[in-house]
Amino acid sequence: MSLLRNGFSTVAGVLVIGLSMSVFTVNEYERALKLQLGQVIDAEYDPGLHFKLPFVNNVVKFDGRIQTLDSEPERYLTLEKKNLIVDSFVKWRIADVQQYYTSMGGDVRRANLRLSQIIKDGLRAEVASRTVQDVIAGDRAQMVEAIENAARAQAKDFGIELLDIRLKRIDLPKEVSESVYRRMEAERIRVAKELRSQGSEAAERIRADADRQRTVLLAEAYKEAESLRGDGDAKATDIYASAHSKNSDFFAFYRSLAVYREAFKDKRDVLILDSDAEFLRFLRQPSGK
Amino acid sequence: MAWNEPGKPGQDPWGGNRPPRKDSSTDAVEQVKRQLEGFLGKIGQQGQGQNEPGSVPEGLGLGVGVGVIAAVALALWLAFGIYIVDPAERGVVTVFGAYTQETGPGPHWNWPMPIGEVTKVNVEQIRNAEIGYRSVKNVNNDVTGESLMLTQDENIVDIKLSVQYNIRNAANYLFTNVDPDNALREVVESALRDVVGKNKMDFVLTDGRTQLVAKVREIAQEALDSYKAGIQITSVNLQDAQPPEQVQAAFADVVKAREDRQRLISEAEAYSNDILPKARGQAARLTEEANAYREQVVSRAQGEASRFISILSQYQKAPEVTRQRMYLDTVEQVLGSSSKIMVSAKSSGQMMYLPLDKWMQDDKSGVPATPNMNALPESSASSASRSAPSLRDNLRNREAR
Repeated sequence: MSLLRNGFSTVAGVLVIGLSMSVFTVNEYERALKLQLGQVIDAEYDPGLHFKLPFVNNVVKFDGRIQTLDSEPERYLTLEKKNLIVDSFVKWRIADVQQYYTSMGGDVRRANLRLSQIIKDGLRAEVASRTVQDVIAGDRAQMVEAIENAARAQAKDFGIELLDIRLKRIDLPKEVSESVYRRMEAERIRVAKELRSQGSEAAERIRADADRQRTVLLAEAYKEAESLRGDGDAKATDIYASAHSKNSDFFAFYRSLAVYREAFKDKRDVLILDSDAEFLRFLRQPSGK
Repeated sequence: MAWNEPGKPGQDPWGGNRPPRKDSSTDAVEQVKRQLEGFLGKIGQQGQGQNEPGSVPEGLGLGVGVGVIAAVALALWLAFGIYIVDPAERGVVTVFGAYTQETGPGPHWNWPMPIGEVTKVNVEQIRNAEIGYRSVKNVNNDVTGESLMLTQDENIVDIKLSVQYNIRNAANYLFTNVDPDNALREVVESALRDVVGKNKMDFVLTDGRTQLVAKVREIAQEALDSYKAGIQITSVNLQDAQPPEQVQAAFADVVKAREDRQRLISEAEAYSNDILPKARGQAARLTEEANAYREQVVSRAQGEASRFISILSQYQKAPEVTRQRMYLDTVEQVLGSSSKIMVSAKSSGQMMYLPLDKWMQDDKSGVPATPNMNALPESSASSASRSAPSLRDNLRNREAR
């Protein structure tokens, strides 16, 4: 009995071990290869549980998620032979496991290295055909597209699908940055001066306008005043004339008397009278003869 | 969503309460199950077979013992498959590594390790990514390499962003990208530089802020969607958009200059506002004075004219007499108020000495006594008559000699 039991448990044990050696799981994010004595015999595995022959089959698994290749920023020469520092990153994932395994040995670092070389070459060519302005302000997507197309074909040979290349930083080298700062400063100084001068200009305009308005106002007022005075004078003259013309002889007499009174009203006015004067005739003779 | 009923599978794991299987893994599970069933069935049969004869009681005990232990172990193992998903979380369920479903909040059951696995992902939590700075204990440390970037006009600006995001699709978040959080950072940084590079510095630093942020968000989200990162950007906030430190003084001066301009203009306006009303007042005075003059002149003319006419009408009644009277009145007044010398025409042969200048001087000393000299004729006449006697005396004296 015990022999039987032992035998049974041995069989069970062997079964369990054998079973565990002949199954393998592929995770949702993994890609797997089944090798048989060094040869790839199956590469298309969905996630889940799969079987293999113990000892004969060998399973290799890779990360099937989207990987990022973030290479170090590099200097590139533009069309006008200026340096630009460009930093890019690449998104890729395994497309063909078998090819990836055979060409890259399944090593992510190796894949990244090869990819970055391809991208750098592409970038160098693209940057060299553009001016600094084009690189900075131009359509990045368009610039990257050419690189992408070239790199995609090459990456395909490695079993890699290139999803996206994006330019991250496009900077001027440090020493150039300094002169950019100086230029920006000069530019700001220009703007500041312009603003202040604009202020002076506007202020002067406003003052001049105010002065003009004042002068015009006063001149117009003078004009009106003069015409008013003239009007008054004219009316007065008319009044005098119409009154005096009633008896011009009497007016001459009347007016002359008024003038005499006005002319000789002071003790300082000395009159030298001839005793023969008509109005002194009574002074000479009571008869007036 | 298929609800696994927790606890129940522990009692009857092979019953109808199995979680639904998908794709090829279903076959594998089916196979394992069949094998396990067969294996357990054999044990049971063997136990029973031994039991029936009743020859060896220990065997029965042992068989039952093994069966019970196996059943308890199985039940325990299956009980480990119970898990609870928090309200903010989603459970991503895998069986043999294959994704089967996403479970919502509440208790659930899945195959325990090593067959199944549940990864809980917090989808409500707002995560934060900082571009251009890192805040450590509420202190923001600049990362100039990230924050300094070129604008279209080849100026350099300093921009700091914070991005809030949460997980929209837990399975995608887990299975499609190696480091989705880092992917977000890279994508946002790239989008930011793309947008800034397409705009002028003044726009970026002033009016363009909101537009800039919206555009960054749009580009970044689009990229993340293309990677199926399962990430939803909830907001992009511009923490800071400034000129670089090296040129900030110059930028500040421009702001000051703008204020100066406004100040100069305001001062000029103040000047204008000062002089114009005064000028208007002056103008009004000029016209009013002219008006007054006109009224005055006209009124005087009217007055004088009416006086003349009145006198004229009296004169016309007796011209000769009136004429004589008026003449004498005037002579009286004229001679009364002024100095006079009478010279006889008959003694024209003699030479006369008239010390006029001396009289003038004498008069001067006498003038202060008659301050109303320049007043109206009537009053001056009266004052003149007051000072007259001395002169007359003078004359008399001369005549007496």
